Amino acid sequence: MIQATAVNKTFEDLQAVQNLTLHVKKGSIYGLLGSNGAGKTTLLKMMAGIYKQDNGSITIAEKPVFETPDTKQHVLFIPDQPHFLHQSSLKDMGSFYKEVYTRWNQKRFEQLTKHFRMNPDKKLTRMSKGMQRQAAFILTLSTMPDVLILDEPFDGLDPVVRQQMKNVILQDVADRKMTLIVSSHNLREMEDFCDYVGIMHNGGLLFERDLDELKTDIHKLQVAFKVLPDKEEFLKGMDVLHYEKRGSVLLIIVKGNEDQILPYVKSFNPAIFDLLPLTLEEIFIYELGGVGYEIRNLIVE
Amino acid sequence: MFTLDTRSRVPIYEQLMDQLKTLMIRDVLSQDEQLPSVRNLAQELTINPNTIQKAYRELEREGYIYSVPGKGSFVAPFQNDANKERLEMLRQDLEKIVSEFLFLGGSKEDLIDLIKQIEVAEREDAQ
Repeated sequence: MIQATAVNKTFEDLQAVQNLTLHVKKGSIYGLLGSNGAGKTTLLKMMAGIYKQDNGSITIAEKPVFETPDTKQHVLFIPDQPHFLHQSSLKDMGSFYKEVYTRWNQKRFEQLTKHFRMNPDKKLTRMSKGMQRQAAFILTLSTMPDVLILDEPFDGLDPVVRQQMKNVILQDVADRKMTLIVSSHNLREMEDFCDYVGIMHNGGLLFERDLDELKTDIHKLQVAFKVLPDKEEFLKGMDVLHYEKRGSVLLIIVKGNEDQILPYVKSFNPAIFDLLPLTLEEIFIYELGGVGYEIRNLIVE
Repeated sequence: MFTLDTRSRVPIYEQLMDQLKTLMIRDVLSQDEQLPSVRNLAQELTINPNTIQKAYRELEREGYIYSVPGKGSFVAPFQNDANKERLEMLRQDLEKIVSEFLFLGGSKEDLIDLIKQIEVAEREDAQ
């Protein structure tokens, strides 16, 4: 559905996105994660057709986005700072969107406005950050988009609204196979929401994978022995990402298949042995640690 | 119908599968009964429809459910395999508990006695 191939983007002397290739399937919810300044927002803005890539191609449903009104009719972007016309109310913005977007759904607009208890006549600039975001969601979802690009979307929304917004979005995904690409640092939330994730670092994509596959392929082992086996000997048979000894308990992050790891560790007769799936947050930390972006604890002066 | 633990490390599609299996094994969902549609579940639980589809796909692969194109998913005729799987799960849990028990200094004889006691109690219950 969304295909980016060998995309580069430079701002003066800053290379924001570097030779990036990415693919989002139709009806998927793709979580774009990454370190600060990794180039997530730049990439999203290129997908939304706001920036033009220096080279490489970005297509949505096999059509380019930049300066292609037909594609843009169905590709909607909510930036991290929603923008509205000067001095406008939600109602004014609604009539503006109605003129611009051919699939505008007035009924849905009114229903959502009422459901989220928005005052359609109040000036949007006088509303709080969270209310403005709600307004942006209502307007965007009323255009019946095929592709929704969200930059830090749930930031500033309270848990009740957050859950309801997600619910509305998920209905569109289930009903109309709407495709979503979402950037966020809230990995806890992304974990339940996405089915595919890509991790960006320094303008490039480290990897992209099905979230569940990713989780079944990487494990956290907590092992304790009565008699500690030779470290080299023990680790030799596994693909170890991270090794840590906390007292007499070993904490090991291992890549590989559970069916192979279990009997292997058991053959060393551990006294305590736990094999846990990793959380997305842990995957993020260990994968970025692998490229030199690790947690370094600092004791402040 | 379902409660998902979003704080658990267990992937949501696995939680869904486990809960659906339990419902089928306990006969809450009986044979040939229709499962809730992907759309309904997604809306009800606020979870990704792709996750639900995945759980359904896996359940179908394991023979718990079958799908009728254009109609939805239904509970497949009951198989004994379900018990086998549950047994295997319990065995793994037991293994963990027993090794902790032994590690902390519990004796093998205690365990064996315990099993005998439970057996006796069960037999009395049956009578």
